[in-house]
Amino acid sequence: MKKIFILLFCLLGFIELKAQMPHDGIYMNKKLACGALIYGNSSWTNYWENGLKRDNPNLGRLTTQSATAMVAYGITRDINVMAMIPYVKTDASQGNLMGQQGLQDVSVFVKTKTKAFHGVTAHGVVGFSVPVTNYVPDFMPMSIGLGTKSLLVRGMLTYALPSHLYLNSSIAYQARSKVTVDRDAYLGASTLYQSNQVSVPDAFDAAIRLGYLKKDNQLEIFAEHFSCTKGDDIRRNDMPFLTNDMTMTTVGIYGKYQPKKIGVNAKIAYVVDGQNVGQSTSISVGVLYQFKIK
Amino acid sequence: MKYIFSLLIIISLWSCDKSVSETVIEPYAPAKVDETAGSWKTFILTNSTEVIVPALNSDAEYKKEVDSLKSMVLTADQKAAVQYWGAGAVLRWNEIARELAARYNIPPAANAAGVYPVPNAADPLADPKFPFANPPYTARALAYLSVAQYDALVSAWKYKYQYNRPAPYVLDNSIKPLLPTSTLPSYPSEDAVVAQASYVILLAMFPGEGPFLAAKLAEAKNVPVWAKINVASDVTAGANLGAAVAAKVMARAKTDGMSTSNNQAIVPDLIAHAKSIGLSILWASQESPVRPPMLPNYGAVKTWNFDLATLESIRPVMPYLPGSEAFNKDLAELQTINKSQTREQAAIANYWADGPGSYTPPGHWHRYACEAGVDAKYSEVRMARMLAYVGTALMDAGIACWETKYFYYSPRPQQFGLKTSVGLPNFPSYTSGHSTFSYAAASVLAGFFPDRANTFMANAQQASDSRVYGLIHFRVDCTMGGKHGKAIGDFAVQRAKTDGAN
Repeated sequence: MKKIFILLFCLLGFIELKAQMPHDGIYMNKKLACGALIYGNSSWTNYWENGLKRDNPNLGRLTTQSATAMVAYGITRDINVMAMIPYVKTDASQGNLMGQQGLQDVSVFVKTKTKAFHGVTAHGVVGFSVPVTNYVPDFMPMSIGLGTKSLLVRGMLTYALPSHLYLNSSIAYQARSKVTVDRDAYLGASTLYQSNQVSVPDAFDAAIRLGYLKKDNQLEIFAEHFSCTKGDDIRRNDMPFLTNDMTMTTVGIYGKYQPKKIGVNAKIAYVVDGQNVGQSTSISVGVLYQFKIK
Repeated sequence: MKYIFSLLIIISLWSCDKSVSETVIEPYAPAKVDETAGSWKTFILTNSTEVIVPALNSDAEYKKEVDSLKSMVLTADQKAAVQYWGAGAVLRWNEIARELAARYNIPPAANAAGVYPVPNAADPLADPKFPFANPPYTARALAYLSVAQYDALVSAWKYKYQYNRPAPYVLDNSIKPLLPTSTLPSYPSEDAVVAQASYVILLAMFPGEGPFLAAKLAEAKNVPVWAKINVASDVTAGANLGAAVAAKVMARAKTDGMSTSNNQAIVPDLIAHAKSIGLSILWASQESPVRPPMLPNYGAVKTWNFDLATLESIRPVMPYLPGSEAFNKDLAELQTINKSQTREQAAIANYWADGPGSYTPPGHWHRYACEAGVDAKYSEVRMARMLAYVGTALMDAGIACWETKYFYYSPRPQQFGLKTSVGLPNFPSYTSGHSTFSYAAASVLAGFFPDRANTFMANAQQASDSRVYGLIHFRVDCTMGGKHGKAIGDFAVQRAKTDGAN
C-alpha cells in the first residue's frame, strides 16, 4: 500500500513557490513551530516573447519585490503544516507603466513523509493558494499575481547520502482555477472570447536538489523546470497574458543557518531558459524563528 | 492519509471546471420582416436596383431544387454551423471582423536599427503584420463592412419582394426548416448577400486572412441550404449581389484618403501650426525608441455623415495651456489618482481600455450595438442599417478626433510625470478618442433604442472617465471629446431619420 502512495505522490505534481519549505525534506518536530519573514527580489531585463528573446526599453528592468510571512508547524514528526502570505510590489525602471502592489495569495500546505526503502524517504505535499486581495491579474507584466485559486500536489523522494549529503527529487502538479478579469473580451490564441472569464492553464514542475544538511544547517544547489500543460504564446510585440504557456528552467543555490532559535536563510536563482516569461534573477533572504507551542 | 485523499478528490473536482462562459445567441425570428426595406435610402448605391439580380429560373426548376432539400442529412458539425450562423449573418460577420481587429491590433516592433517598419499590405503576414488594426483602422473597417451589408441587403429586399419567391418550406410544407421562419421571400438569399459582401470587405481590410475568410464564406453560404430556408439558386444570386455591391463600396474605400493617413511628411507642418496658434508644450512620443505618431493624416479621410466644412466648424476649441489654473486643476486630479488609484477606478480603466490585442473602442461599441439589435429581434436589414449608422458615426468620430488631435498636437499626462495603468497610446492627447468614439456611438444607439438611451449615455460617460482613471488623458480631453462625439453621432441620427425606414 505504501508503495502505491509513493507512486501516486510521484506522479502527481505541484507549484513554484516563493518560499522553499514546502518542497524540502525537512520537518519540524511535534509541536515545534518556525516563523519566517522573507524578503525576495526578482528582476529581469530580457524576456522570451514566445521563443524570441528580447529586451524592452519601454519596461527597462522589471523588478518584483516581496515580503513573505510564513509559519511552519509540526503536527507530528511526520506531518507538518505550512502557511504563507506575500506582499508583492512591482516596478519597471523605464517607460510609463504603473507599478502594482498588494497582498497576493495565501497558501497552506501539508507535508507528510514515510520511509520508502533503504535510505529513501517519500514525501507528499498537498496545498492550496487563494488570492487575498482583488488585485488586477491581467495588467501583465506589472500584475502582482495571476489571480487564480490553485490546488497543488507534490510527490518527492529524498535520498540520504553519506557525509550529511542528500538528494531530493520532486515532481508537482498545480491545478489552477479560471480568473475573472475587468475586461469583457480578450484573445486566447487567435480566438476572441467575449467573456470576463479567463481559463488559466494548469502547470507542473520537476526539480532536483543536491544538498548538505547537518542539524538545522543546510546548503543546497538545485535545478527546476516549470511549465504549463497548455496555453498560447505571446504575440509579436504584444504583452503577456494569463493564457500564456509559461515555461522556465531555473538553477540556484539555497542555504540556511540556524544555530539556535533564530536563523537565517538565503536563496539565489536564475532562469537559464524559458518561453513567455522573463529571464529573472532572484534573491531572497529570510529570518527564521523557532518556538515551541504547548 | 485519508485527509490527503480527500484533498486529492477536491483537486480533481476543482480543476474540472475551466470552461469559460460566453453568452450564446440563439437563432430568432425577427420582430418585423421590414417588407418596405427595398426602398430605404442606401449609403453608396444610388438606388436599390443599381445592381441587377437576374430573373428567377422556372417554377419547375425551383421545385426540383426544393425537392433536393428533402433527402439532405446533416452532420453534427453542419447542425452546429446552422445554429451558429442562424443567430444572424450580419451579427456573425461583425463578430468575425472584431476578432480579426483584435488579432491585428498590435503596434509594430522596432527593428534592430531602432526603426519601426511600416506594415506592408502587399506582404500582410510578414513582421509587422498588415494591418495594424488600431482604433481608427478598425472603425473604418467596421464602417465599410456595415455599409456594404446594409446597401446589399436593401437591394436584396427590393428583389425579394419584386420576385416574391416563396421559401422552400412555404412551397412544400413537408420541408421542416432548422431555423425560425418568417414571411420573407427567399430569392435572393440574404445570408449569401451578407456573406459575400462581408468577405469582399474583410479580405480587403485584412488581406492576410484569405484562407480564414474563404472557409467562413463557404460555411456561411452552405448554412441557408443546410437549414432548408434557401436553395442553391437563392444563394448564388445573393452571393453575386453581395459581391457587386461590396465592389462599389470598396471603390469609395480605395479613394477615401486612408492610403495617405499615415503620411509622416506632414508632421513638421502640424507641429509648426500648433505652435503658431499658441500651444506651448507639444506632444512627444514617450516610447523608446521614439515612435512616429499614429496616422497623423487620418483627419483628412473622407467622412460619412457631414462634410469637411462641418468637420472644421465642430472642432473642439483650443485646450487650456500647461501652467494655467484650469490645467493645474486637471493635473492635480491625475496626480491624486497616480498616488492612490482605487480598485474601482482601475476596473473602469481596464474594462474600457480596449488597447493592443483588443477589438478597440469602435469594436466594443459595435458589440453593444449587435447585442441591442439581437435583443430587439431586428431583421437582418434593420440590423445592418443600425450598424451602418453606428459604424459610420464611429468612423466619423475617429476622423474628426484625429483631425483635432493633430490640429492642437497637445501633450500627454505622461509628459508631466504620470504613470498609466492601461498603456499609453502614441499620439497627441486632446481630445480623447475613447470619449469621442463612445459618445458618437452612444448617441446613435440612443436614437435607435430610446428606452435604453440612459444606459448607453452612462456607458459612454464611463468610457470617457476611464481614460482619466487610466491616467492617459486630462479631464478636459474627455469632456470636450465627449461633446464632440455627441455632435458627430447626432449627424448620423439625423441622416437615419430621412432614410425611409421609420
